[in-house]
Amino acid sequence: MTTLFNMTTLFNVSLAAYFCAMVCAVICLMSRRHVFDLLANGLIVAGVTIQTIYLGIRWVEAGRAPFSNMFESLVLFGWTVSVVYLLLRIRTKLPWLAAAAAALSALALAHASTFESEIRPLMPALQSNWLSFHVMTCFLGYGAFAISAVASAGYLIATRQGGTAQVETRQMLETIVAQTISFGFLFLTLGILTGAVWANSAWGTYWSWDPKETWSLITWLIYAAFLHFNFMRGWRGRRAAWISIIGFVSVLFTYYGVNFLLSGLHSYAKS
Amino acid sequence: MNDDTKPDETVKAAGGNPVTRLLGSLVFALTIVLLLALACIAGTLIPQGPQVESYLARPGGHPVIEVFISLGLTRVFYSWWFVGLLFALAASLLVCTGRRYRAIKSVTGAKRLRVIGSFITHVSLLLVLAGGVVRVIWGQKGMIQFHEGEVVNSAEGSEGSMALPFSLRLVKFELEFHKKPAASEAAPVEKLLVAWTENNLLLQFPIELNVERSVVAADAPAGTPPAFKVKVLRYVPDFILDASTQEASSRSDVPNNPAIQVEVVGAGGTNTQWVFARFPDFDSHSASGAAMPLKFRYYAVPADEMGGQGDIKAFKSTIEVLENGAVVSTRTIAVNSPFSWGGFTFYQASYHPNDLSYSELQVVRDPGIPIVYAGFILMMAGLTLVFCVGPWMGDQRRPTGGLS
Repeated sequence: MTTLFNMTTLFNVSLAAYFCAMVCAVICLMSRRHVFDLLANGLIVAGVTIQTIYLGIRWVEAGRAPFSNMFESLVLFGWTVSVVYLLLRIRTKLPWLAAAAAALSALALAHASTFESEIRPLMPALQSNWLSFHVMTCFLGYGAFAISAVASAGYLIATRQGGTAQVETRQMLETIVAQTISFGFLFLTLGILTGAVWANSAWGTYWSWDPKETWSLITWLIYAAFLHFNFMRGWRGRRAAWISIIGFVSVLFTYYGVNFLLSGLHSYAKS
Repeated sequence: MNDDTKPDETVKAAGGNPVTRLLGSLVFALTIVLLLALACIAGTLIPQGPQVESYLARPGGHPVIEVFISLGLTRVFYSWWFVGLLFALAASLLVCTGRRYRAIKSVTGAKRLRVIGSFITHVSLLLVLAGGVVRVIWGQKGMIQFHEGEVVNSAEGSEGSMALPFSLRLVKFELEFHKKPAASEAAPVEKLLVAWTENNLLLQFPIELNVERSVVAADAPAGTPPAFKVKVLRYVPDFILDASTQEASSRSDVPNNPAIQVEVVGAGGTNTQWVFARFPDFDSHSASGAAMPLKFRYYAVPADEMGGQGDIKAFKSTIEVLENGAVVSTRTIAVNSPFSWGGFTFYQASYHPNDLSYSELQVVRDPGIPIVYAGFILMMAGLTLVFCVGPWMGDQRRPTGGLS
């Protein structure tokens, strides 16, 4: 199987597809030619497809879900960002969002390539069926929050003083932010809960205030506050966009900062 | 463009009692959430634990440190003010849940589904918090540390000894390694491990025939003669025992059942025994001569598994549960594979790399678990109603987000 689909080649091709998608989306923004938008989205679909094959082969070769270290989780993060973007693309057409999603996916893969990609056996605590479910749900949440942060940043730029964005564009961005946060919140919650059940099975406690757990709770609280403000107080616009960006900063710290700056039960994730 | 658009009026503010009004207000709830988030940040960025506390509180420390410690900043998640914040959150959730329950009756259709989902989500959070309280009040947690063959009927908890209504015997502890890939250039592992449990000593020697190895007590002064002398007398790649003559021989040259014959000479006499790479517990059955306190393990990697040992794959304890002296259950416990008996759950916690007959189990009794898990299930059901079923059934508020 490895001879048919060389793993490194698949990885590089998906990285190239995302990079080319980003270039096409930027050209579309500058030239306003629809063909480049189609091309950008086609390349993102190709990137996701190739990455799915890559993840599938790695899963088979490793005999476990390929989500156990920094390399594998970055590959998964790149994949979820583009998958969430494509789900949104069904109803929303924003070339710059395609550019941002493709750029994020390419960046994640490029950064992954700086880590050891060798398939290594799992430590005892990770040998559980909960691994795939817990990590996949968390990262679907992270992917959605990434898109929401990008849309929020776009909203802040579009509505800055002197901004010329159309009312439809602003409303579309507000909708994207709220939809992606709702989607991400659902999956982050599922990720935290499955992690708690797994922790109870492995360590005898469903919650131990480990830095990763605690930061995932902080992230959850920030997005819960967003959803309450959004619904109860009708907060939209710039204030909501800022909360969304703060939430994503917390996501980044939960995923990345905790791995490298704080030690705890999830310390294996930085390798 | 105005930042605020029309808010949802489905869940109206509580009237009457000012305390209820305060607890049910969004500002109060989100202030608590903000304070909890800040406390959590402090709890992860400031080193936590009693060791940190005793280090900071050493004589000659700065007076500010005392204030720091008395505020509970070195044990944030167990401080009175953090617990107070959790109770304030629970009170707020309780009032909000009541309001949502009343709101269910005032709406119809898809919107009703969303309000029901929101109600269920708030109930689930209360259940999770309640489960945590049950754990703190009625839960028990302790550690069992024992050696192979040892029987225990209590665990060491943070608040003293924790009696078990039955006994546990550690039958066997096993350490398994991942195989390194066949292409690895690592040398095959072949060694004799000698454990002297009473002396907390573990030695390893290469397998060399008729080479005498000395075993000296760990705390013996320099120049002390060895307590034991160990020698490998024979190596047999494919061990077989002739039942009539009791003579050991090799069935083939292939290491299907590698074994070594070890001789131990000590003050009590001489002991000879066969030690098997694939049957590490068989040594006691094949020993002859004087009883010895030493235990042996023979680690050998067969030719078809060349590459040697890799990382640790698993560590397992086989235990027997004894009631009134009789064995009522036997189970193997590993990480991710706990064992429950009599309301207690046993988890494989640790082992000692220098004493492979030792194992450490964590014992937990948590009557709050069913409540917490019920909360988890309800939380997902509630959020699914809010974010998926409600919008799908036609509750098309824009934007779609909305945890009411």
